[in-house]
Amino acid sequence: MSELNSRQESLQRRVERILPTVVKPGRYVGGELNQVHKPWDSVRTHFALVFPDIYDLGQSNLGIALLYDILNKRQDVAAERAFAPWIDMEAAMREKGIPLFSLENKRALSDFDIIGFSLPYETVYTNFINLLDLSNIPIFSKDRTDEMPLVIAGGQAIYNPEPVSPFVDAFVLGEGEEAVLDIVNAYQAWEDQGGSREDLLIRLAEVPGVYVPSLYEIDYQEDGRITSIQATHPSASMPIDKRIMAELPPPLTHFMVPNVEVVQERVSVEIMRGCTRGCRFCHAGMVNRPIRERSVEDILDTLREGIRQTGYEEVSLLSLSSSDYSQIIPLINGLGDLLREQQVNITLPSLRIESFSGEIMDALQDLSPGGGFTLAPEAGTERLRNIINKPISDAEFFDTVRAIFEHGWNTIKLYFMIGHPQETLEDVAAIAELAKETLQIGRRIVGGRVRIHLGVSTFIPKPHTPFQWAAFDDPVSIQEKIFVLHDRLHGSKVKMTWNDPMASQHEAWLSRGDRRIADVIFKAWQNGARFDAWREHFNIENWQKAFEDCNLDPDFYGKRARDIDEVLPWDHINAGVKKSFLKRDYEWSLEGKIRPDCRQQCYSCGILSSFNELRLAHPDGGWKCP
Amino acid sequence: MVDGSAPDMNPQEDITRIRVLYAKGESLRFTGHLDMQRLWERLLRRSSLPVRYSQGYHPRARLNLASALPLGFVSDAELLDFWMNEPLPINEIYARLSDAAPPGLTIKEVLQVPLSEDALQVQMAASEFEVEFFDPQDVEVLNKKVNDFLAQDTIMRSRRKKVYDLRPLVMEINVIGRENGEPALQMKLKAEEGATGRPDEVLDQMGFSNTEYLVYRTKLLFS
Repeated sequence: MSELNSRQESLQRRVERILPTVVKPGRYVGGELNQVHKPWDSVRTHFALVFPDIYDLGQSNLGIALLYDILNKRQDVAAERAFAPWIDMEAAMREKGIPLFSLENKRALSDFDIIGFSLPYETVYTNFINLLDLSNIPIFSKDRTDEMPLVIAGGQAIYNPEPVSPFVDAFVLGEGEEAVLDIVNAYQAWEDQGGSREDLLIRLAEVPGVYVPSLYEIDYQEDGRITSIQATHPSASMPIDKRIMAELPPPLTHFMVPNVEVVQERVSVEIMRGCTRGCRFCHAGMVNRPIRERSVEDILDTLREGIRQTGYEEVSLLSLSSSDYSQIIPLINGLGDLLREQQVNITLPSLRIESFSGEIMDALQDLSPGGGFTLAPEAGTERLRNIINKPISDAEFFDTVRAIFEHGWNTIKLYFMIGHPQETLEDVAAIAELAKETLQIGRRIVGGRVRIHLGVSTFIPKPHTPFQWAAFDDPVSIQEKIFVLHDRLHGSKVKMTWNDPMASQHEAWLSRGDRRIADVIFKAWQNGARFDAWREHFNIENWQKAFEDCNLDPDFYGKRARDIDEVLPWDHINAGVKKSFLKRDYEWSLEGKIRPDCRQQCYSCGILSSFNELRLAHPDGGWKCP
Repeated sequence: MVDGSAPDMNPQEDITRIRVLYAKGESLRFTGHLDMQRLWERLLRRSSLPVRYSQGYHPRARLNLASALPLGFVSDAELLDFWMNEPLPINEIYARLSDAAPPGLTIKEVLQVPLSEDALQVQMAASEFEVEFFDPQDVEVLNKKVNDFLAQDTIMRSRRKKVYDLRPLVMEINVIGRENGEPALQMKLKAEEGATGRPDEVLDQMGFSNTEYLVYRTKLLFS
């Protein structure tokens, strides 16, 4: 032990020596208010929680914060954090032979029992394997030996786990609040009984919601499409159901308060989980079903307690569609009282147009006057909005715009997507016309103070959505559409931002990738790819070369529309929504047929049949399926 | 409450100005001046003291920090003033601030000061520092470096593309012995508005890189 202690001291000291030479060293020191720091030898199980981007982004991640809180509540577990070092810090660490370390005890990640990675989006995949490498842990799961940490991963991106499956020992699908404790239990039981790493993986495969990729075999046709996905062990279930909470657990109030600036420094509370709208492009709306709400009382108590514990000057409500929250008016009124009493501000998430009543606007007016308002019609024409199942007429849209300006706001942010299935250049041009008309309406009502921001993102077909079969648009065509918008907006005061088509294409390759694409990720990392989510670091050439090296065709993953009966790489993952439902919804989209909000009527998406017993066991859980 | 024109609910005579002497420890070494202001705003909000806020939709506590401490330094002698809408016993303020303080920040002393006093920055004249070296130093070598430095009349340096004379900003440098017997440096540098000496500049001039030492601020001196 004394040897370990001296090793630890020297690691901390070695880190301290390089800190004055790097940008924003406060990212690497920990020690924040509400940090949980347990003496290393005081617990049985050491669990590292890793967000594979810099501290400035990851520290605000609510998922990590929740798991940190849940794990540290256990006496026998210490959860510690680690983040990706920025480029300069990584170089300094590699030069001095310093491995990735945790912020609490400054221990090398290889000293931990379990390392849990958060993988919220595909563009962190190269950072993820880079961090394994920086931890001196073999990148491929098969190369890890018995005494090495267990590497697990969770997060929104891994509803298609296949592209990173060779790097991960076990995935947690869905909501992790309970699953993470089950994993610790399984790990400790394995320690008690002894056994090989494979024994541990088999034990984990028996935990609901856990997917152990090495226990499945994938067969391919000659053209690269999948023939079959098969479990190779009796403990490996088929399909693997995601994990959900029947009712939302008590919200977090014990937020850490960083000592250096990070994004989103505020008390955040999830007011509901899930969404019933069924927008066909929307991954979050499909995989996070069913809808579950927190009570107004719980939300306000959480905010009050969160402010007391942090001193934050800002609070935020999280949900996929806040105005669909059934108690939105009482909530907004309660917030008004809270803000006046606590001297804090509020940020509101995006609100949907069709559910957006004058009543809500009246109530909101007190909370955030003068600031911006966000509307996300996502497509420029009524025809295309029906196809993507975000039906709203132009007239309704402009009524809402008018009401917003009349209530005193002067800034509107408009979010649109280009590259939708069946999109024409007229649909794209209509985006510019809507934005310009919005500007005109604003000018008439609030005058010169009006500001219109147009955010244009690119549609990326996502697994477990009705558009999972659709082709990703060609980057050349996307670029052309961006030019169309530029031309049409030229000389107007609409401020437009858009995504790099190449970066979107990269995301498209990975989001519907199969197990074979893991080699591409590995090669791209070897070619130098990391921080792919950062525009200044993303380099498409690293990826193009990687595809060549692996003898795989990128268009097979991106531009190719999937055959409706094809075995998809994520077919063994049950995210709650059935493939047959998605297929029918895709067919409806081709007919321009809309599917109304499912709170009025159940369309048997599959969530109830997957989790019926759970629901029956929690009759008052705030679960909102009809 | 609509905007900045809202009436002042608190009559002038109840407003009090509170001065805090605090230590900034190792876990806040890399928390810079602006981040310290935000840290203090949050500390004050957690303390539930009747802190005086600006009016409007983005209320902010009125704060006054004496002198920015360079990134990477620790300190036993930081000063801050804040204002309250009503008076409270000093020991209660001390207790509430201590409870609300984050790791690395220690409240050492609290006192009430006249409202009419100048801003802390205006009152500042000099700062005292101690420098601890990570690696053992030879006393003779250290003494020579100090003497060579002090023997010069001007020491022109450039920092952030501005050329300036470091020498007149340095009032004293002494070689001292630490408790563990290792030699260390003590220095007194000017800290007037627009004429503030930085220990890291002195140390760089002596040939030490910023990875070789830890600087403590030990005292703030008023004019």
